[in-house]
Amino acid sequence: MRVVIAEDNVLLSTGLELLLGRAGFHIAAIAGDAASFLTAVREHRPDVTVVDVRLPPSFRDEGIRAALQARQEQPGLPVLVLSQYVEQQYAAELLATAGGGVGYLLKDRVSRVDAFIDALRRVAAGGTAMDPEVIAQLVQRAGDPIAALTGREREVLALMAQGLDNNAIAQQLTVTDNAVHKHIGNIFAKLGLAVTDSGHRRVLAVLTYLNGAGRTSGQFGG
Amino acid sequence: MSGVGLGLPALLCAGNIVVAAIATPLWWAFSAGNGPRLFVNVPVNGWTTALTLGPLQILLLTALAYLCFPPMARAHARICLAVMASQPTDEQLAERVVELTRTRADVLDAHGAELRRIERDLHDGTQARLVAIAMRLALARQAIADSPRDEQFLEGLLRDAHEGAEEAMSELREVIQTVYPPILADRGLDGALTAVTARCPVPTRLRIGDIGRVPAAVETTVYFAVAEALTNVAKHSQGTAAGVRVDRMTDRLSVVITDNGIGGADDRLGTGIAGIRRRVLALDGTVDVDSPAGGPTTITLELPCGS
Repeated sequence: MRVVIAEDNVLLSTGLELLLGRAGFHIAAIAGDAASFLTAVREHRPDVTVVDVRLPPSFRDEGIRAALQARQEQPGLPVLVLSQYVEQQYAAELLATAGGGVGYLLKDRVSRVDAFIDALRRVAAGGTAMDPEVIAQLVQRAGDPIAALTGREREVLALMAQGLDNNAIAQQLTVTDNAVHKHIGNIFAKLGLAVTDSGHRRVLAVLTYLNGAGRTSGQFGG
Repeated sequence: MSGVGLGLPALLCAGNIVVAAIATPLWWAFSAGNGPRLFVNVPVNGWTTALTLGPLQILLLTALAYLCFPPMARAHARICLAVMASQPTDEQLAERVVELTRTRADVLDAHGAELRRIERDLHDGTQARLVAIAMRLALARQAIADSPRDEQFLEGLLRDAHEGAEEAMSELREVIQTVYPPILADRGLDGALTAVTARCPVPTRLRIGDIGRVPAAVETTVYFAVAEALTNVAKHSQGTAAGVRVDRMTDRLSVVITDNGIGGADDRLGTGIAGIRRRVLALDGTVDVDSPAGGPTTITLELPCGS
């Protein structure tokens, strides 16, 4: 699987190269700024991209803007954005682009190699990878409706919102697929959501619900 | 300027009276064509003009002076007084110096306290964690060469080092957030306030005018004040709608945070408003909290931000 990385910090890009190389990814290019990232993406047509939010020259949100532009030029181009801090606004902007294949994770998550590689593969396959902290903030804000869920159901909901499929949720919670399936049925019934098949659409439905429970106007939209 | 504007006509008037009084009776002493002239450009070349137009000009100009000079002088005096009154008195200036000296000392104190807090957070948190991680990794390097190798001990060291590094990252992120919120660096005050209002559980409308360049310290204070005020709205106000309005008035930034909740917000309830007040006063700004029992609540901040 071919990857293009946008990361100007040599310490981090070397680390990513090492980590992804060991996991069997082929690093097609490492770009040090937004413009060369866009050029590399046009040239290499990678299977997945990893983009740091802050890039030269101004070290503001070039990475997010470059990721959005790349997805505009190549609809559905899988993009995993790495951020030094969690900003729901960035997650919302990425999710608002058409199609799946988006991820938004704290840089810290790179240190959990297996989970990070899983997230990257999920994004490459058109799925979603939302940082647990983004979800935790949304769940905390959602308040009352979530209180009707059992503790286990809340765990399942959070993992669903992060973009995990039933199988991955079952592994993470060390329960059977069947149990996860039952929990999800209960969650959707309690929250009054129409059951959606797993995948990006389910993630969007859950995120839209969580965001809407916290406030009246929606921030996440597909 | 008003002195010149009013004084010039007066001088012309007086000058022409003098011309009429002295030069006109002496018209015969001038060479032909160079004689005195009356009523701007009428040449005096005989006793008839000298004795009729001369006294007439004196009479008219004297009447004009009698009628117009006093109001002109009064107008001039009023203008002078108005100009002088708008200049602060020595007393007012002295008061301002005392006030600025005090707020400047407060700002330096607040700044110093902030630096000490950051130093302590980094020293006790991140630095201590890095030392612990390095120690565990060093031990692991030794243990890996042991024979027989104690796999369990090695595994424990690496796990602790790994978890310590994750905790250090998370602590460091918190410290950075309190120093200068990264979203401000990424998107400026406009984008940062958009993010803050978007994550408020109470639907919040943000209106922000063209505020131009604002000092980083003011941006940070406004960001924290709005975040804190909206946290209060969500926690205590029971409101269903809130608004944030930011406007620039030449050298001041005004920020108004409103909600339609139950009111009763004051400095004693938690540290929210007290914290806002402390931050804003440190920058020589003002905070006005209007929150009667039953609501609504309006918090108005004004901050100086250069011109």
